[in-house]
Order: sequence, then structure tokens, then C-alpha cells
Amino acid sequence: MLSILAAALQAQPATTPQPLYADNASILKHMSEALHQSLFRVVSLLIAVLPGLLAFFVALIVFTVVGMAISAFLRRGLALVKFDDRLSHYRESGGWNPANSPTQIVARSSFWGCVLLGLIIGVSAFDASFASAGELSISLLPYLTHAVGAIFLLIAGTLVARFLARSVLIGAVNAQLQYARFLSLGVKWLVLVLTAAMVLNHLEIGGVVVSLAFGILFGGIVLTLALAVGLGSRDLVSRSLESRVVGTPEHGTDTQPGSHSAHSETFRHF
Amino acid sequence: MATTNPIAEPSSLSPPPSRALLVALSAMPPEQLETLLSQIAASLPIDNILIASPDPMPASASPALQIVTSGSINPSWILTATDFANAYELALKHGCKAVVLLGSGSSSIRSSGLRDLAETVLSSQCDLAVPCYEIPPQAGLVNSSILYPLTRGLFATRVRFPLPVDLGLSFRMAERLALAARRLIAQNQPDAPLWAVSEATVAGMTVEEVDVGQRELPQPAALDLNAILPLVTGSLFADIEAKAAFWQRARVTPSARKPIPLVSPSPADATAEVASLLQKFQLAYSNLREIWGLVLPPNSMLGLKRLAHCDAGAFRMSEQLWARIVFDFLVAYRLRSINRGHLLGALIPLYLAWVAGHLNSIASGANAERHIEALASAFEADKAYLVARWRWPDRFNP
Repeated sequence: MLSILAAALQAQPATTPQPLYADNASILKHMSEALHQSLFRVVSLLIAVLPGLLAFFVALIVFTVVGMAISAFLRRGLALVKFDDRLSHYRESGGWNPANSPTQIVARSSFWGCVLLGLIIGVSAFDASFASAGELSISLLPYLTHAVGAIFLLIAGTLVARFLARSVLIGAVNAQLQYARFLSLGVKWLVLVLTAAMVLNHLEIGGVVVSLAFGILFGGIVLTLALAVGLGSRDLVSRSLESRVVGTPEHGTDTQPGSHSAHSETFRHF
Repeated sequence: MATTNPIAEPSSLSPPPSRALLVALSAMPPEQLETLLSQIAASLPIDNILIASPDPMPASASPALQIVTSGSINPSWILTATDFANAYELALKHGCKAVVLLGSGSSSIRSSGLRDLAETVLSSQCDLAVPCYEIPPQAGLVNSSILYPLTRGLFATRVRFPLPVDLGLSFRMAERLALAARRLIAQNQPDAPLWAVSEATVAGMTVEEVDVGQRELPQPAALDLNAILPLVTGSLFADIEAKAAFWQRARVTPSARKPIPLVSPSPADATAEVASLLQKFQLAYSNLREIWGLVLPPNSMLGLKRLAHCDAGAFRMSEQLWARIVFDFLVAYRLRSINRGHLLGALIPLYLAWVAGHLNSIASGANAERHIEALASAFEADKAYLVARWRWPDRFNP
């Protein structure tokens, strides 16, 4: 029994128990190993992706150059056969301006067609190399395509917002509404908020929070506009209703309220 | 939609004899038609004319009149592309050498005016006879502010009413206008106006103006200015754009064929309207500055700023400023600087400002016709600016 106890005591280290990393050298060694492994993984990923990336740029550059060549060839060829003159003869206007002559349109279309083709081929090559690179491809590439879609949505939404805002502003000013700018801004922000919600939804950011926030904002803007327009145009609406109900010549004209009549009592536009 | 070939056959089976003149009438109420037919019978040789009307003939019409029924045509306050196409078809079918188109309300034209219009076009010298109406100084303001000065400035013609309600055409002019009308009809614009004066000028045809005296100009019935002004100016701008190769060349406008008439002051005082017009302009100035800034140069914007702070009594828009505004809007229409609908809508308050200035000018005792002539001269003088901006728009961006 005593011999067993003595053996057990002898097997234990003579000093007090040590932590896992006993000294600085050991810590650095482990950090270095971790860093090396991480660097190795990233470099491996880059090496796997790099050919695809290079292929993308090469395809884009090559097709851009080809597009430029085809465009220049078409421009010269069509100028030689007097394409614009022939077409304007059929069109019978003869008023092509250099910026949008048929030759320019054909040349530009061919150039941008080639660039688009290069882009598609490049993306396809990048996609193929990226798919074999690792597990990141599962999430990153679809997210990139979503991001492109979101950018298009954003651009389209901004354009529509600007168009509608101008339409409302000009229409409201010509209808002599004093709050024309406010109305225009309201419409613009309605469309922008809708666009932002669609973009975030497309990017799958925010989830329910975005839908909720959008509902609150959209409803708020609509309510504000309704109140403003309703309160601001009380007189206008009452006059309109009055003229419709009474319908006598001395109470109203055939024109809509706020619009300029094509002929007045004292002067005539036509 | 209006039909393009609504011609009803005459009752005889044999080929119709050729006649000198086709008088194509627009749709009008029976009493007006009756008056007009009696005027035609009194002023024109009825054995040598053919009358085409979409309306049924009144019982009191002279049996000597040769009348065919043209199909149902949408009544319009201007001559539309459909009217020109139909008139040409009829003239071709019946072998007429010339055509007189009489628009809505033409019964108010005196008989001598009708005769002069027909005789001018029947003479071999003239291809297009355009009537010159005597109207009150406060009427036809769109024509006086935009249509006449712009047509005169660019096409070097002194025709006072480039969008007339009545016209006299030689056969070849009718053929050319029918071609242009068919293009519009093919583009699904059968009710679009046709710019006969510029068409004749481009084709090198002879244009003559005929004094027809007073006439009640038909007014657009249901639409308001916000819809009609963009329609008319848009059509004119499109026509000018299509004929750019022609008008960019320098031309000399012929001298005035008659002195400026001394118009008697109008009994209706329009100064009360000036305040209302100015309010509309000031509202537009406070809201549409950014949009106007996309179209107009800083100099014009400065002019508008000064006008926006003007008193109603002293309000005048200078001829040079208005000419620049119209030219810049024309260039913007061509370049599509902003949406064309927005562009033409943004022109309306500026036009109303010009109207306010014009009414003030008349109220102060100035001759309205002299004011309009000065405006047209300003358009002519500033044509070089338009040509420069048209050719090299990138050199200057407002």
C-alpha cells in the first residue's frame, strides 16, 4: 500500500500545476500557427478565385476592344454607303442630328452589345471558378446577384419618384394649388419609401422590422397628405361641389376648378 | 376615331365630271350650314364647284349646288390631319383642281372673303391661300405669342395665322398635305394639327395671304388651357424639329404686305385679369424655378426673377426675353432635357405672364398689332441664338 502511494506521488510533477501555455514562446507559437492556418485558408481561396476573376476581366476587356473595333468598322462602313441619307430619305424629315443619327445608334448598339456579351461570359467564368472555391459560394454569389437587383430597383425607384414628383408639381402649379411643392414632396417620399422597403426586402435585411416600418411610414405620409390636401382645398372642393349641384351658368363654367379656361370673358387664348 | 376615307358616292353611275373647286366643310349646326351654303352660292360659281359636308343638307339648300356627303368626322376647332386626307381623297376622286377647306364656324366669314380665298387658289400662281382674320386684339393670344412669331422667325413668312381654320389649296399642295396627314394618321394622331404654311415653305410652294375680314374663331369646347397649349406647342415644336434642315439656313422675311392696322380699343377691359394671371405666374415662379433652371439660361432666370417682383400695373415681359424663353424651350424639346410633357406644362405659366404683359400693354393704349409685330421681329433677330444652340447644344448648358 505504501509502495503504491509512493509511486503515485512520484508520478506527479514535482512543481505546482502549470497553465496550458506555460511561457511566451509557446503562446507565440500557437498564435503563429493560427495565423498561418488562417492565411493559408484565405490565400487558398484567393488562388481558387483568382483565375475566375482574371477570366472575368480578360473577357470584359477583350469584348470591349472587339466592340470598339466593330463599332468603328460599322461607323465607317455605314458612312461610306450613306446610310443616314438613305434612311432620312425614307423618313422624309432630313433632320438627323449627329448625336442620334442611325449610324451612331447602330455603332453604339453594337459596342454595348459586345460589352454586355463580355460581361455575361466573364460572370459565367467567375461563377464557375467561385463555385469550386469553397463553402462561401453558397451565400456570397446569390447575395451579389441580389445586390445587383437591389441597385436596379433603387435606380428605377429614384427615377420614378423624380418623374412623379415633377408631374405632380407642374400639374398642381398649373391648377393653382398653393401647396404644390408640399404635394410633390409627399409623392416623391412615398415612392422613395416604397423603393427603400423593396430594396431592403430584396436584400433580405431587416425582415419584419422593415415591413412594419414601411407600413408606419407609408401610412403616415398618406395620412399627412390627405389631411393637408383635405384641409387646404376645402374651399376648392366646396366650390366644385356647389357648381356641380347647382349647375347653373351663373354659378360655374364648364372648366374644372383651378384650371385655366381656354377662353376668358375679356381675352381669348385661341 | 375619325375615318380616313368616308366618301359617299354621288348618285350617278357614270364617272363624275371634273370640277374646278372642292369646298370641304367641317361639321356644323344646321342653321350655320344653311347660312354658309347661301354665302357659297352667292359668292362662287356654283356650276363648277363641289361641296362636301359631313352633315345632311338642309332642305332650303339650292338644288343647283353639287353636294356630296363626306363621312362622319369628329368636329374639331382646328383643321386636323383627317380633314386634309379626306379632302384630298375627294378632290382626287372628283377631279377637282383646287380645294377650299372651311373649318368650324366658317359661316361667319363674309361672302367676299370666301370668294377671295377661292379665287386666289384657283389662279395658277398660288398653292396655298391662308386667310388673315380680323380679330379683337385680346383674342388669338397663343397665335400672337408663339405660333406667329416662331413661324415667321424660322420660316421667313409673314402669314399672320399659321394655324388657320380655313385654307385654300392647289391640287399639288393638297396632295403634299395629304401625304403629311397620312403620316400623322399612321402614327395614330388623326386629330393632330397640320402646319400647312411651313410645309408649303419647305416644298417651295407659293403662299399667299388673303384678307377675309372678321371671323368668329372656334374655341376648344371642353378642354382647358393646360391640355390645349401643350398639344398645340408640342405639335409646332415637333414640326420645327422635323424641318430643322430647312430653317437653319438664313432667309430674308418678305416685307409687310400691308401697314399695321389701327385697331380700335376693345370695349372689354382685361386689366382685371392681369392680377390673376400674375398670381399664377408668381406661384409658378416660387415652385418651378428648379425646372425652369434646367431649360433656361441664367440671364432669362434673372429676367423672370425681376418679373416675379413686379407690380401688376407695371408688368411687361420684354420681347427679347419671351423670344429667348420660347427658343430655349424649343431646344430643350429637341434635346429632351426633361420629359416633354413636363416641359410643355412648365411653359404655361410663362405664357400667362406674357399674356399679362400684353394685356397691360393694350390697356396702356399701345397698338396690340404693333406689339405683336415687335415680338415677331425679336424672334427674327434672335434666330442666330436658336441656330447656335440647336447645332451645338453642349457648348452651353443652363
